[in-house]
Amino acid sequence: MASWSTKAPGLFVKIVFLGTLNAFALWAIPILLLHHTNLFAAYMAVSTLVLDYVFLSRKRIAAKYIAPGVVLLILFQVYPALYTGYIAFTNYSTGHILDKAQALDVMISNSYQQPENGGIYPMVVTTEVTTKTLTLILKNPDGTYSAGNSKGLTLLPTSAVTVDASGNVKSVQGFKLLSDAEVQARIDALQSLHVPVGKSARIDVADFSTAQMTAPTLKYDPTTDRVTDIATGTLYHPNNNGSMVSNAGDELEPGWSTNVGWRNFTVVFTDARYRGPLGLVLGWTFAFAILVVGSTFFMGLFLALVLNHPKLRHKKIYRSLLIVPYAMPSVLSILVWAGMFNQDLGVINRMFGVSIPWLFDPWLAKIAILIVQLWLGTPYMFLIATGAIQALPNDIVEAAEVDGASGFQVFSKIKLPLVLLAMAPLLIASFAYNFSNFGAIYLLTGGGPTIISSGGIAGHTDILISYTYKLAFAAGKGSNYGLASAVSFLNFILVASISAYSFKKTKTAENLN
Amino acid sequence: MTTTPVKIAHRRMTAMEWTRQLAWRHLVGILAVAFALFPLIWMASAAFDPLGLVGAQKLIPAHPGLGNFRRLFGNVDYPYAIWFRNSILIAGVNAILQLAIGASAAYALSRFRFRGRKTTLLSILIVQMFPQLLAAVALFLMMAKIGESIPFLGLGSPFALIAIFAGGALGINAWMLKGFYDTIPSEIDESAKVDGASHAQIFMKIILPLARPIFAVIGLLSFIGTMNEFLLTSVILGGNPHAITLAVGMQQFIDGKYDKNWGPFAAGSLIASIPVIIVFQFLQRFIVSGLTAGSTKG
Repeated sequence: MASWSTKAPGLFVKIVFLGTLNAFALWAIPILLLHHTNLFAAYMAVSTLVLDYVFLSRKRIAAKYIAPGVVLLILFQVYPALYTGYIAFTNYSTGHILDKAQALDVMISNSYQQPENGGIYPMVVTTEVTTKTLTLILKNPDGTYSAGNSKGLTLLPTSAVTVDASGNVKSVQGFKLLSDAEVQARIDALQSLHVPVGKSARIDVADFSTAQMTAPTLKYDPTTDRVTDIATGTLYHPNNNGSMVSNAGDELEPGWSTNVGWRNFTVVFTDARYRGPLGLVLGWTFAFAILVVGSTFFMGLFLALVLNHPKLRHKKIYRSLLIVPYAMPSVLSILVWAGMFNQDLGVINRMFGVSIPWLFDPWLAKIAILIVQLWLGTPYMFLIATGAIQALPNDIVEAAEVDGASGFQVFSKIKLPLVLLAMAPLLIASFAYNFSNFGAIYLLTGGGPTIISSGGIAGHTDILISYTYKLAFAAGKGSNYGLASAVSFLNFILVASISAYSFKKTKTAENLN
Repeated sequence: MTTTPVKIAHRRMTAMEWTRQLAWRHLVGILAVAFALFPLIWMASAAFDPLGLVGAQKLIPAHPGLGNFRRLFGNVDYPYAIWFRNSILIAGVNAILQLAIGASAAYALSRFRFRGRKTTLLSILIVQMFPQLLAAVALFLMMAKIGESIPFLGLGSPFALIAIFAGGALGINAWMLKGFYDTIPSEIDESAKVDGASHAQIFMKIILPLARPIFAVIGLLSFIGTMNEFLLTSVILGGNPHAITLAVGMQQFIDGKYDKNWGPFAAGSLIASIPVIIVFQFLQRFIVSGLTAGSTKG
């Protein structure tokens, strides 16, 4: 065949792909290193080299097809999984985001205060004529002038400064005064300019014509790992939760993220604020997943059996209409259901002329969720069950009928077990999916109504994943990434062990047949 | 049991037989269809009811009109058209990436016998045990960190979301596609190889064309899956109202504002739903076979 000859387009694609990849890596790695994101920089370097090798090598044919997917899989699926495990053992949360060095920096720089006696200097902004260094000319309380830059403060001889009648500085020898526009242009540089004074005080720009002296009230001593309040002499020492605390129990802000061992896991099981709600959430997660799989399976199977009669006409029309819930974007349809369940406005209450608080009662909210999931999940089960029924070996059914089995016996003793066997893997997958079906809960009830004892975080219809989401991202209550990751991990262990167990079970069932 | 099925099929049923065997089936079918279409019908009705009040809505609007559609597209704070575009772009790019990564990996796993093949297959399966959904917190912190250096891969950027989804491509799709490739007889590629075809040519010119139907299904399901993804999308893009997708945007639009935004919301949902429902109708046959492929393969 002539068409097998040309290789040019493949080569071109390869060159473009590798070229783009290497260019991106060369651009990104230095930036990542600059931001101390060393792990990702290293990963990017290694994976780029591996891909280069794989695609330039004449061997490694299989790797050419798999490597790109693997590189992405490791970065965006394996690493986040491991990272989740890591965060679960830290106190990573609002107020404990930074590492220790950064936290101490922020602590000290937040403690800068203006001394009680004055510390305000009238000022003009200049640049040094020879070095062009940005310099503040400050008027001292005694009427002398000093020049201050990021290196320090120097007293100017009185003759160097000329002032006009109203006392404004007109010129300074060796320095060029900047116009307002020039000052405006350097506003960022001015804001980050700190003129060091003495051991720890500094002078900063306050506005266009004044500067102020501030000094830290806290001091960190790395050898003893203690923070001292300079004015009072109070000592702060690090505790095991990544905070500096005094003996009196006062805590300095911010804290840092640190390893806290198993604490996140023990907290969930012992702290009353989490233990009670977690029990409820866990119970409902299981109930929800089991009830959804069970109800959709039986409804789907029932419809498949009813509508699969050989003499039934318009089967196609039924099927086309029944799969509509599966085809509709589920986020939107769940939100539409939420509107229909609305207590005052919803069509469901108005249809029956009642005022049922569907989404605000712990039990009714659960029922509403199950109704919506029944609506949403039945079409999928119906489609699969129809397929499974049509694939049933006819001879067994016929043999049973010849032997005088009743319709119900044929169903319960032959059809149901065979269909169940064929659908088992999909039912397990559906269970695992629903176990973490965030949208089903969050979009309809938001997890509510709230469980009071949970401090307003958990709700009566929350499942583990939506509880995790609220722990991590709940607005206004602070984010507890460590705890959220611990709950995520728990979620993972449960789903993984249940699916592993059931897959093993169904495999054995298959082997027995 | 009948021995002459052809004749039976043509014989008209008596009214009694019809009632006993089929009438109740139609009744069940009609009830099920009514349940299935219930929200869609209310949505459509609300969309064309210019009053737009969830509490006063009638099944058939008294004065139908397009007012809600105008209000939907005229809303500056909630840019529906931009969300729609974002959804299509993110879902489209993602579907293509999913297919490209899955289809090529599956080719290697199905056709080549290399060292580490079994390990790769098993690892892919094991990694799937920890879905990205559960790592939402980690992904959020990770993308925040990366975004400090590379803003277009950081929080609020659609590329970050696409990259994350691409990381999950080597999962269930690769398995499904491998299962399908395995059913393509290897004699076809053997003979092409004898004719001098390279591995890339066999992949592009033999395997890919033969697997087109299953690509359509996987592509469509992954497209819809992305359109519907809520958790990761809101965690990664939530802070940027111009980058969010329809799913996240519409939730923000209606959350707590059912009384006010119901009409435009219904109009927007209708616009987003109808194309998907139509595509589903056309691809029904393929989708069913795609869904059941998972069950027969195990």
